Amino acid sequence: MRALLDFIAKYYHWLIFIVLEGISFVLLFQFNHYQNSVWLTTANTVVGTVNEWEQRALRYITLGDVNEMLTQRNLLLEQNNRALAEYIETLTHDSTRSELLQADRLEGITLIPARVTTNSVMRRDNLMTIDAGYDDGVRPEMGVVSGTGVVGIVYMTAPHYAIVMPLLNSHSNISCRLRGSQYFGYLKWDGRSPLYAVLDDIPRHARFKVGDIVETSGFSAVFPAGLFMGKVHSIENSDDGLSYKLIVHLSIDFSRLQNVCVVAQEFQAEIRDLEQRADSLMNQ
Amino acid sequence: MITQFLQRLLWLVVLVTAQMMVFNYIHILGYATPLPFVYLVLLFPLGTSRWSILLWAFVCGLLCDITSLTLGIGAAAMALVAFVQPVLLRLMTPKDAPEDMRPAFSTLGFWSYCNYAAILTALFALAYFALQSFTFNHIADLGIACGSSWLLTFIICLVFEALRDHKTEEQH
Repeated sequence: MRALLDFIAKYYHWLIFIVLEGISFVLLFQFNHYQNSVWLTTANTVVGTVNEWEQRALRYITLGDVNEMLTQRNLLLEQNNRALAEYIETLTHDSTRSELLQADRLEGITLIPARVTTNSVMRRDNLMTIDAGYDDGVRPEMGVVSGTGVVGIVYMTAPHYAIVMPLLNSHSNISCRLRGSQYFGYLKWDGRSPLYAVLDDIPRHARFKVGDIVETSGFSAVFPAGLFMGKVHSIENSDDGLSYKLIVHLSIDFSRLQNVCVVAQEFQAEIRDLEQRADSLMNQ
Repeated sequence: MITQFLQRLLWLVVLVTAQMMVFNYIHILGYATPLPFVYLVLLFPLGTSRWSILLWAFVCGLLCDITSLTLGIGAAAMALVAFVQPVLLRLMTPKDAPEDMRPAFSTLGFWSYCNYAAILTALFALAYFALQSFTFNHIADLGIACGSSWLLTFIICLVFEALRDHKTEEQH
């Protein structure tokens, strides 16, 4: 308060000057029609411009929500698209069976939206944190996808957050197939470029070419079949020479990932429990 | 103190009356209009409180506005000149000058006083005509009106100052 009073005492002439100029301008606009009309026109233009900026800023701020909505919408349309593509392929054989298959695949899948809070792509074992957790229905071993493809698998959960093991982790191992051919293998990351992963165990007799689409095989309870993973970039021989090793250009740019969805399948827990019991029996 | 106040009041009445009765009717070629009431601001000696200069100038400008039907224009321009005057005078005054030195030919020197008056009258004319036209669409007309009016105002201020200075010297 004292500092303010000192400031006013030191610069009081500024205050008087501003007040006198203010009074002068009020008189100027009040009693001179020409100046008044010019002032109003200019003021309206300025107010209009400021309003336009405000609207632009508001639209920009709400882009996050729009993006989240579009991600979910994109996933749904991708599922529909895949189901329709398969439906068209099987239409010549048995349309009734195709419809049943499509309905079966989409049934029981719940998408839990989340935002990526922390992420890394530079390490060999990268992890990612999302802002949806146990309270939102997220459980370990659930799949995580974005609008453009598969992201990874939920590793650990807390009440409001979850740790995701993305594709860019040396322990990640996702069952995939080549679209249209049904040959499948396991997609792993070799720790080099975050844009590429390796699809192993494709048999030597399989027929495919560079540019073919790689998608989830659906051979686990984590991801439904047909989710887009990427495209074949190049073809190499496996280390033992018995199969092919495909270099896959991933569909997701992990360094810019913001919105994801956790895929919750209705009977996932039941299937996993059954698989664990079967494994333990086999190991005995 | 009271004498000084009465002197300023007298100058105020004389300048406003002269503006109202004579100078408002001069429009040479439709452009040049003298506005010598700004001379009141030129009179204030060094060390005068700034609020006092601002108030005198504002009142003088406002009175001229009321008599010329240009409400706000003269008052705003005079307040601006009054705000700048103490700073300019301090810059143009020799360091050994007394703290209450009056700006005049005899104290500042002829050319220094001319510079002092030229800068303040130019600032005044610029502010006055900018506010009057309130647009820069006709900048050539504005420049001619501003320049010619400034020249007339400047000359009249110098004449006033010459008369006042001469009278002061005679009294001494």
